[in-house]
Amino acid sequence: MPSHSRGAGGAPLLRPGEWTLLAAIVAAVVFTALADSNHSYWQRPLDSLRDIARNAALLGIFALGSTVVIIAGGIDLSAGSMIALSGTVCATTMLALAPAEMAGFKPVGPAVVAAGCLASLLAGFLVGTLHAWLVTTIRLPPFIATLATLVGLRSFARALCESTTAAFTPTKSALINVADPFFKAVRDNVWVPVAVFALLAVITWLILTRTVLGRHVHALGGNEAAARLAGIRTDNVKWFAYVFGAMTAALAGLFYVGNESVAAPVNQGRGHELNAIAAAVVGGCSLSGGVGTVPGTVLGAVFLRVVIDAVSKIIKTGADVYEGLIVGIVVVVAVTLAQIGQMARGGRRLLPGALGLCAIPTLAVLGGAVVAMMASPRAGAATGIGAFVLLGLLRRWETRHTAVSAS
Amino acid sequence: MKGTALAAVPAIVMRGITKRFPGVVALDDVSLEVAAGELHAICGENGAGKSTLMKILSGVQRPDAGDLEVHGRPVRFRGTREAEQAGIAIIHQELALVDDLPVAANVFLGRERRTALGLVDDRAQADETARLLADLDCTVDPWARTGGLRVGDQQLVEIAKALSVNASIVVMDEPTSALTEAESARLERTIARLRARGTTILYISHKMDEVFRLADRITVLRDGRHVRTVDRVATTPREVTGWMVGRDIAGHDGVRRRLRGDRVLEVRDLTLPWPGHARGRRLDGVSFDLHAGEILGVAGLMGAGRTELLETIFGASDPTWTGSIRLAGRPVRFTHPSEACRAGVAMVTEDRKRLGLFPDLDVAANVSLCSLTKALRNGLLSRSAEEHLVSGPIRATGVKAPGPHAAVTGLSGGNQQKCIIGRWLLTEPRVLLLDDPTRGVDVGAKAELYTLIDGLCRDGLAVLLTSSELPELLALADRIIVLSEGRLTATFDRQEANEQAIMEAATGGARRVDGPGAQVPT
Repeated sequence: MPSHSRGAGGAPLLRPGEWTLLAAIVAAVVFTALADSNHSYWQRPLDSLRDIARNAALLGIFALGSTVVIIAGGIDLSAGSMIALSGTVCATTMLALAPAEMAGFKPVGPAVVAAGCLASLLAGFLVGTLHAWLVTTIRLPPFIATLATLVGLRSFARALCESTTAAFTPTKSALINVADPFFKAVRDNVWVPVAVFALLAVITWLILTRTVLGRHVHALGGNEAAARLAGIRTDNVKWFAYVFGAMTAALAGLFYVGNESVAAPVNQGRGHELNAIAAAVVGGCSLSGGVGTVPGTVLGAVFLRVVIDAVSKIIKTGADVYEGLIVGIVVVVAVTLAQIGQMARGGRRLLPGALGLCAIPTLAVLGGAVVAMMASPRAGAATGIGAFVLLGLLRRWETRHTAVSAS
Repeated sequence: MKGTALAAVPAIVMRGITKRFPGVVALDDVSLEVAAGELHAICGENGAGKSTLMKILSGVQRPDAGDLEVHGRPVRFRGTREAEQAGIAIIHQELALVDDLPVAANVFLGRERRTALGLVDDRAQADETARLLADLDCTVDPWARTGGLRVGDQQLVEIAKALSVNASIVVMDEPTSALTEAESARLERTIARLRARGTTILYISHKMDEVFRLADRITVLRDGRHVRTVDRVATTPREVTGWMVGRDIAGHDGVRRRLRGDRVLEVRDLTLPWPGHARGRRLDGVSFDLHAGEILGVAGLMGAGRTELLETIFGASDPTWTGSIRLAGRPVRFTHPSEACRAGVAMVTEDRKRLGLFPDLDVAANVSLCSLTKALRNGLLSRSAEEHLVSGPIRATGVKAPGPHAAVTGLSGGNQQKCIIGRWLLTEPRVLLLDDPTRGVDVGAKAELYTLIDGLCRDGLAVLLTSSELPELLALADRIIVLSEGRLTATFDRQEANEQAIMEAATGGARRVDGPGAQVPT
């Protein structure tokens, strides 16, 4: 087991794995700058930076929430739906307070905007409280409780959207346009989400490393029974964690409304909860709880967005097509690399027995298919055959190596 | 093979076994021969390499160097299954059971009995398990959920599991560390039965009395090296202990009489219901007093209610208990450990790994956890303030750690336990509840813990101590109360207490209920 000391004040800011992640980010950027035939990182560096920064900040904001929940030994699957609910609550509040201006795409005034945003954050608080109640009092496993809200909140948001539009506009609608200049400004000034993300990261980092509550979060995630017997009010710590998780998602939801100028409960934030968990895991969080850092998650979120951007730049298709695939591959590779030293020391084999034998064509076909779609069928075939041969050789080497040491 | 040679072939031969872990040499060129049919004890402090040696023998780990022969055949196990096929069964110190499976399913895990249709034959497994458990004088239901059993019963399940393979070599890694005297006695009967069948037994233990009662030969390991192997009849416990720690340590021969102070804790008629259980009550009308500067020992068999008694006082059990608890004269009823903690009650839990230690936190964070507000500077935790805070208890308890920010999982069991005691000392408690504090701790550290507990008591702390080892209670406690099936069956002063009398009371033999605080003039 790696020696996880906590990152309390005075401790080194980044751990070895996090330096590696930072290096990987730089490497991915440099590689993209060289490999991109349009040279967009050279031609339009600011545009590219703005793109990545906005996406990374939006992902990072609620990834920080997921990080706290994960360190506390829980999981929050509902972040994506919370984003949708937050946007919807904000838009419906504004619609109810200023129906004429909303319908006419006119400014609604700072008071109404503030009311909308506060309503969203309050919704986050309520959802977090609901999670904590379901987990501590009803004793639902966190996975089940937040799976229920993952499905339920999005539907709830849509129903809220439709009934509010039915009441305040001529037609019922599953989305509400938001044209207030405040949201336009948020969209156009990318430093706003970046600054909010940075501030939130600093606050989260302070909470986790420099407060009693943060220490209790780590203790709870590391050993819940022992935490209770050490006199920690574990239920209250969980309450904090789930409220923090839901409120960061609510905050992110407001930025999504700004970005897209619309509150669309059906699609907004769909699947984003998994990206947040992925960012946390790539950043070194352990899903069994007790382990994780804020710098890790920040770097994890940036790394995910950089790689997604790199792929979209290099193969020149919409990033959204391959986003899930990239996130999946990055998570597997990052977690594998993190434990590869352990594997080598423990004499564990990558391709053992019948399972290893079947894994060889599986990986080869998967790799070949991805390359074929991204580049050309010829390159795909070459990749597939190459991977097949290489993995075959690896298995042979492993078998021999074990046989030699066994005899 | 010739018949005469057969008997001379040793069951196990190890030559030059070396195993390194990052930063540690766990075993350094260890050679060992175990004759067929003998009971060979392996002694050594925690970290001496006993467990690693056993893991290599049972195929859990592979040596970096060295040869292994079993019944004269060179072997090199690549997994536990291969070791099992060679006739080696191991009873791990750390229980390797699946909590959510029934007992019988655990016993046959990986070797499931099948019906003619190829389905798992649960009935046959349960019958076989019941027979194996009966061999161990154990009445656990084969269908019971394993995780619901007490540690002692789980260990017996583990033993049944090893017996079920009919092994010719059985390795027992501190099998009695969690067992009561009675359970240990029935284990010894089982060992005798195994030996009658000609089974070779490797027995790892800290407990000199056990080793000297059971073993034919004794091997001592220290710091991963083989110190020596001797015939039991040719040595003494004191000598062996000396080889283990590398110095001659005096046995802990009792403590000087302590001065008893004011009454701190007053427990009257404490009853804790046990819904859905035949006994109905986990604790039944328990009454006693605890004074400052006194160690009150709580004796009892596994399941007698020792842990429940401590947990109820600490506010960690169901809040459904009746009776009264007074702390320094004031009635208290804690509903959460945090309240007990604030009121000056501290509890060191029985199962260190499961209920005490935070493996992801470093040594300092493990010690400071209950007193973090004392490490705040300007409202934020300060690393230096925390280091300063924990340096006191770390010194007082004698924790040996590379530094305050070392990984707590890298410490020996004894040092981990000292960390946890240090954690509670920081809360400046008036009452310290110690639930079997020396379980799984090596001899040297045990003596240190005794001295520590004695010292704390002399400083005026009131200590309630349970132990699964009677000699420990007899050595440390001023008075001993005995629980049997949740009832207080006897109270002994230190002079009149002896193992025989306590065992009689614990097994319900003697009914000496003398009413609340019998020995205490109030």
